[in-house]
Amino acid sequence: MTLLELINFYLIPGVVLGSIYALGAVGITLVFGILRFAHLAHGDLATFGAFAALALVAVGGVNVWVALPLAMAICGAAAIGIDKYFYDYLKERPKILTVMASLGIALMLRAIVQVVWGVDTETYTRGIVRPETYWGIRIRDRELYTVIAMLGIVAVLWFFLKNTKWGKAMRAMSDNPDLALLSGVDNRKVTMLTWMIVGMLCAAAGFFLGLNTELKALMGWTMLLPMFAAAILGGVGRVEGAVIGGLIIGIVEEMSVLFIPTEYKAALAFAILLIILLVRPTGLLKGKVL
Amino acid sequence: MLQKATSHVLAMQEVRGGYGDADILHGVSIEVAEKEIVVIVGPNGAGKSTAMKAIFGLLKVRGGSIMVDGTDIAGWTPNRIVQHGVCYVPQVNNVFREMTVHENLEMGAFLNKGDFTEACDRVYALFPDLRERRRALAGNLSGGQRQMVAMGRALMLSPKLLLLDEPTAGLSPKYMEQIFEITRGVRDSGVSILLVEQHAKQALAFADRGYVLAAGQNRHEGRAADLLADQEVAEMFLGG
Repeated sequence: MTLLELINFYLIPGVVLGSIYALGAVGITLVFGILRFAHLAHGDLATFGAFAALALVAVGGVNVWVALPLAMAICGAAAIGIDKYFYDYLKERPKILTVMASLGIALMLRAIVQVVWGVDTETYTRGIVRPETYWGIRIRDRELYTVIAMLGIVAVLWFFLKNTKWGKAMRAMSDNPDLALLSGVDNRKVTMLTWMIVGMLCAAAGFFLGLNTELKALMGWTMLLPMFAAAILGGVGRVEGAVIGGLIIGIVEEMSVLFIPTEYKAALAFAILLIILLVRPTGLLKGKVL
Repeated sequence: MLQKATSHVLAMQEVRGGYGDADILHGVSIEVAEKEIVVIVGPNGAGKSTAMKAIFGLLKVRGGSIMVDGTDIAGWTPNRIVQHGVCYVPQVNNVFREMTVHENLEMGAFLNKGDFTEACDRVYALFPDLRERRRALAGNLSGGQRQMVAMGRALMLSPKLLLLDEPTAGLSPKYMEQIFEITRGVRDSGVSILLVEQHAKQALAFADRGYVLAAGQNRHEGRAADLLADQEVAEMFLGG
């Protein structure tokens, strides 16, 4: 096999898949860092976002690139609603109850998708897209857009966290919640803001997974484990870590078929998760220890 | 009889309260005059830190009054107390470790809507070391500098009263002196200070007045120098 084949058939799909994982993992790391629980509905929230975009494309007749920001807004609002009507009631209780509740939310979201959109696989656009070739490297437009969009979205989030008052409040809440409260940070506002951002990131992850593969009710759920592995690999609470973790998991998964049977691909994220927890529980970039 | 100061920034009278249902404080009275440094000392479990947390609204106050500038703040939320001019520096975890020194100060001014450059300048003038290290992560600073960041954060809203919970805990004697020096500087800038100290002797040597608490009650009070000289206080609480 030549180097070009390695790049074209394994590295590029790996980076694309990794970018999708990264979008999800950033959301997971934000929930972990600021709200301090494992959000098991993350994958199904991504499914919901992906299907919201499908509704806009198929029923509303809008362009997919218009559908993306709209779906992000819808999914962000949905996440705020889920927090308000479910998680918020449990905030004084042990966190494990919220984790369990999020599993229930995951099942609910999936059921909504199945009831509203059915159980068939769907796509945003029909027809086969031929990859373009640049100096022997074959890449589809949608693959290029996925990676660029991931970098763009993460850059905007990064800027927001570093330079705005409420972004800093989110970081402060993640860093030292008691001191943040003593400083007058409104916990409720930070929580709502976090959910809005997390919902938007979920929709983006779901959208790009749907764009590059196809939409089905289980698409997000099957992505949950790799997204968690990416967040923990990068270091919990670390946005940049989640991006690196996502890319690593995506690339390793695609490359793995060179060495192990394809059926075991799904188990790979689990193996990486176990290894990182054993060897370096803080993740690659020093994150919180769970 | 203590000489009554002209105006009290803090006057807590017969405060009772605790975290759960059981009282830890059984009638604690503490006064702090303008530009005064007052220290609370006493054996472990005497309720020193608890008394301070009671002032800052972090526990249930079931009796007594806590007057700050003539207003009873008992039962207020910490947020409201901060806006009333009382700031609190916890003993541990008192900085945002993964934020820069400058961002820590910004968080101190979170409730302030307007521009806080002036407040930052004021704090940097008090702690020149911090200005040099403003872009460093607070978690990477030395213990003494971290304590400066913690105090600086609390000073951003120009409080009338600063509450320091064991500011020298875990610091070497060299840093302890430095922290006392800094605290004096803060007082000289016009802030009244109430602190809890484990190092009773050193703290009394540096404060204006002191209170000895035991079992959640006032045991002794007076000018710090008098307490240091008091035979009974020395034997019982200062380790001879």
